Amino acid sequence: MSRGDGFDIVVVGAGHAGCEAAAAASAMGLRTCLITIGLETIAQMSCNPAIGGLAKGHLVREIDALGGLMGVLADETGIQFRLLNRSRGGAVQGPRAQCDKAAYRAAMRRRLEKTENLTVSQGAVSEVVVRKSAAAGVRTLDGTLLPARAVVLAPGTFLDGVIHIGPRSHPAGRAGEPPSVELAGQLKALGLRTVRLKTDTPMRLDRETVDWREFPPQPGDEEPVPFSYRTRRPLLNKVACHIGYTNAATHAVIRRNLESSPLFQGKIMGVGPRYCPSIEDKVVRFPERTRHQFFLEPEGLDAPEIYVNGLSTSLPLDVQKEVLATIPGLDRARVLRPGYGIAYDAVSSVELLPTLETRKVRGLYLAGQINGTSGYEEAAAQGLMAGINAALAVREKPPFVLRRDEAYIGVLIDDLVSTGVDEPYRLFTSRAEHRLLLRIDNAGRRLMGYGRALGLVPDEVWDEHLAARGRVGRALAYLEKTRIRTETGDRVSLAEYLRKPEIRLGDVLEYGRFKEKLSGEDERYIESETKYAGYIKKQEKEIAKAMRTDAMKIPAGFDYRLVPGLTREAVEKCEQRRPASLGEARKVPGITPAAVQNIGLYLEIGRKRRGPGIDVPRETAPDE
Amino acid sequence: MLEDTIIARATPPGIGGLGVVRISGRRALAVAEKIFEAGRKTRGGFPVRRPVFGTVRDPERPSALDEAFLTYFKAPRSYTREDVVEISAHGSPAVLEAIVRLGVEAGARPAGPGEFTLRAFLNGRLDIIQAEAVNDLVRSVSLGQARVSSRQLGGSLSRRVARLRGRLVSLLSGIEAGLEFPDEGLRTGPAAAIKALASLIPEVERLVASYERGQAIGEGVTLALVGRANVGKSTLFNALLGDERAIVTPYPGTTRDFLRETVVIGEAVFHLVDMAGLGRPSHPVEKRGVALGRRIAREADGLVVVLDASKAWSAEDGRLLRGFAGKKAVVVLNKSDLPRGLDERRVRASAGSSPVLEVSALKGRNIDPLRQALRTRFAPDAGQDEEVVLHARQRDRLQGTLEALKKAEALLAGRGPEELAAEELREAVRLVGELAGEVRTEEVLGEVFGRFCVGK
Repeated sequence: MSRGDGFDIVVVGAGHAGCEAAAAASAMGLRTCLITIGLETIAQMSCNPAIGGLAKGHLVREIDALGGLMGVLADETGIQFRLLNRSRGGAVQGPRAQCDKAAYRAAMRRRLEKTENLTVSQGAVSEVVVRKSAAAGVRTLDGTLLPARAVVLAPGTFLDGVIHIGPRSHPAGRAGEPPSVELAGQLKALGLRTVRLKTDTPMRLDRETVDWREFPPQPGDEEPVPFSYRTRRPLLNKVACHIGYTNAATHAVIRRNLESSPLFQGKIMGVGPRYCPSIEDKVVRFPERTRHQFFLEPEGLDAPEIYVNGLSTSLPLDVQKEVLATIPGLDRARVLRPGYGIAYDAVSSVELLPTLETRKVRGLYLAGQINGTSGYEEAAAQGLMAGINAALAVREKPPFVLRRDEAYIGVLIDDLVSTGVDEPYRLFTSRAEHRLLLRIDNAGRRLMGYGRALGLVPDEVWDEHLAARGRVGRALAYLEKTRIRTETGDRVSLAEYLRKPEIRLGDVLEYGRFKEKLSGEDERYIESETKYAGYIKKQEKEIAKAMRTDAMKIPAGFDYRLVPGLTREAVEKCEQRRPASLGEARKVPGITPAAVQNIGLYLEIGRKRRGPGIDVPRETAPDE
Repeated sequence: MLEDTIIARATPPGIGGLGVVRISGRRALAVAEKIFEAGRKTRGGFPVRRPVFGTVRDPERPSALDEAFLTYFKAPRSYTREDVVEISAHGSPAVLEAIVRLGVEAGARPAGPGEFTLRAFLNGRLDIIQAEAVNDLVRSVSLGQARVSSRQLGGSLSRRVARLRGRLVSLLSGIEAGLEFPDEGLRTGPAAAIKALASLIPEVERLVASYERGQAIGEGVTLALVGRANVGKSTLFNALLGDERAIVTPYPGTTRDFLRETVVIGEAVFHLVDMAGLGRPSHPVEKRGVALGRRIAREADGLVVVLDASKAWSAEDGRLLRGFAGKKAVVVLNKSDLPRGLDERRVRASAGSSPVLEVSALKGRNIDPLRQALRTRFAPDAGQDEEVVLHARQRDRLQGTLEALKKAEALLAGRGPEELAAEELREAVRLVGELAGEVRTEEVLGEVFGRFCVGK
């Protein structure tokens, strides 16, 4: 094990969060160690073989704009690419790729092993070394001490993980790998509250034993849209996914065997995600449905495994086989790995600061499933932000926190630290208040400047981004100033014409003489900005208004006890921190949005002694 | 909250038979115990929600201040959801002020206006509609307003708004599910969404429209009396008020300033404005009065157009009637006690849909029918159960909701982007949420998972 004189930063766990954290910290020039229990499972996609989708694809693009790795690697190892919601507007389009799992793992490992300042080593961490409420390194099971100035913990589902298949259960972090029981115990001892969550995975089938004639294919896009600003080579679709359905016989088998499900036996202690229910869950919760859709997804170009997306289950293996036997085309399919449920500990994410540092232990950062999220993309986004913030903290620089209105990453982390989770958290586009502003086609504009300032975006990517901005600016100006006569005889600008729902940019450019070559990304950006113009303006106004509210001053001697509805804890915290504005109050740990609203209302009331409306807002703060 | 306990008199200032002092907060009981001595010893403190007879005392002095009843409302079953004590004493301002002072000495703080209701709102006892209703109820000028306010305090409008919101969230979640899970075939087709909107839009429209009546029984309808000089506007003004408020002379142009008085007709509140005649002014002061009068007439909610029935039809009358076309009006043919000079058919031809009534303000003839005509014209009855929007704030939110819903409908019908229709519905949900004073986003997702089977 490589030790040297200690590291600046130790990252525990080489899943999607850990890899991004380690890569970012080392690229920012810090001596970093990434420690994993298995070098073979670096960046393992332990559930479905796909990256991206709605909101998740947005995240990948944001990670990429900031200089993270996931987008580049997904493009590099993708074997089928689709832009979801292609027929809808730019804000709700999300790229998704089926990836070759083995290729993704290998590509990540190669990249990390080549990275300067980064040591990748194998070992099982049993303890975070804490001195004076600050992380000082980690200790492995064999007793080795790795001193460090900051620690990023990204252990996934390994904290006290227990795998369930039917009535049987055994401790495990992932199929075939041991859990981290010691670490789970230590985090609790440090006073970090935990929640018990669970998630199910489907069975993997042998591709040679599936009768493919029964399942219509779902091909990739003709013109794949890449995740990454760095991808230069064209993307190729090499496989198709296939669509299938369960039927009445399938549901009968499941109903008959419900009592053998650990879920219904009450064995799995943990809350599962509503958006990714097991097949037994779906059958029980939606009894009126006569069939449920599933997708057959290859785990790789040459891999024998087929992932049955939509048939997650923790029923016993013999029942899983019985279920498959009811579905024409899968009736002879061989199960290479049974579906299973896994229950695990997650740290209550309200224990975290917006930098993902724990409130209780300075220098200890948590990222990924340990914070109660699910999904590779959510994990990677947190890993990147934790790695960046750990590096900034070691360098004694101000933290890097994204707002809800500038990135899905901001929405994700703000949701985590301010409200916490009671089920595995997944990002959705509807979680964003300003969905029309957070698009894949403007991720670079929103975030690449930050990535560049952090030193994570290389010159050629930045230069190309600036060139695209110039091009797009000229195109937008051209559309505004060029006027045409429409079929109905009205004279309108090309931009106005483009606002009609059925008109695409291609149609508009046919009219004119704009000679510069626009990229697909440029075109999507121009369409979104033009078609959403009125809405974008309105949302920007709302954001400005919210920022003004946050700027509302709280008088120095303000007596928080006067504000009704505040808990004693909230009053004490505010009195300790003495926030100067409502925005600062929002960031005081333990202060709920409702508490901030009450403080704001109270201040507002004090200011407006007189005014129209109800008696209530005419209230006078008695201390003034 | 915490140590902060407030005290104030709850009955209006002035001398009354009884007066009530209210104390709310954690230490309400402790404060009360210091200043109130029960007549008979009560074991284990004051009973809950039962008046106790006793005396109010200054702890520093031997003699009692007043005899009083004390009622204790234990948190959270009280108006503010905090501990509340009400002391009902004799209504002398001096006594009540003394009780408040004693309470303050015993550790309470004088409450600001409306602070009890504010606490009820902040502690979640009332939503904002109910808080508004409390204020309306205590300030009701008319019985109609009192009845509507009391029903709204009971939560009738809040429930109605909550149901509306539920339907909006449900519609939105259908669209969101289709956007978030494009591969799962969950799409709520535009047709289904348009159908849902077709029943939502008229409902919101009805609520918006009910503000007309709400305003009449709440904030009041401003009616301007317009007409040429010397047609008897001021006499009519006085007759409607049943009072000699305006100075009446036989000379044209007597009224140069304007007068404003409030009169309740049935349940409706009217603010009548009397002003200078709108004819051709001869005096500079009168001239300014006329200009002011025109502005008031334009800004009023409605008009009472007064014509002189004893004079022949003039071009001036025609201009007057046409000049305010588009404004709701009632036309009065005054001086009907004098020999008729006016051709009524010409009046009716110019009056459009406005009712025309013959009145003699001087003799008090037909004043009651005029009152009734004003009521039906400007404050039409709503059914007993029909919900009425009383506040401009509420109306504005509903108006915004209506506009958002109409835009969503147009977008869906025109095959516009669904995410924009979703944006409009989100706006509608936000506004309706604001109406009830609460905003939550997690809800839509909750409904998505409750109704749709997702999980690729």
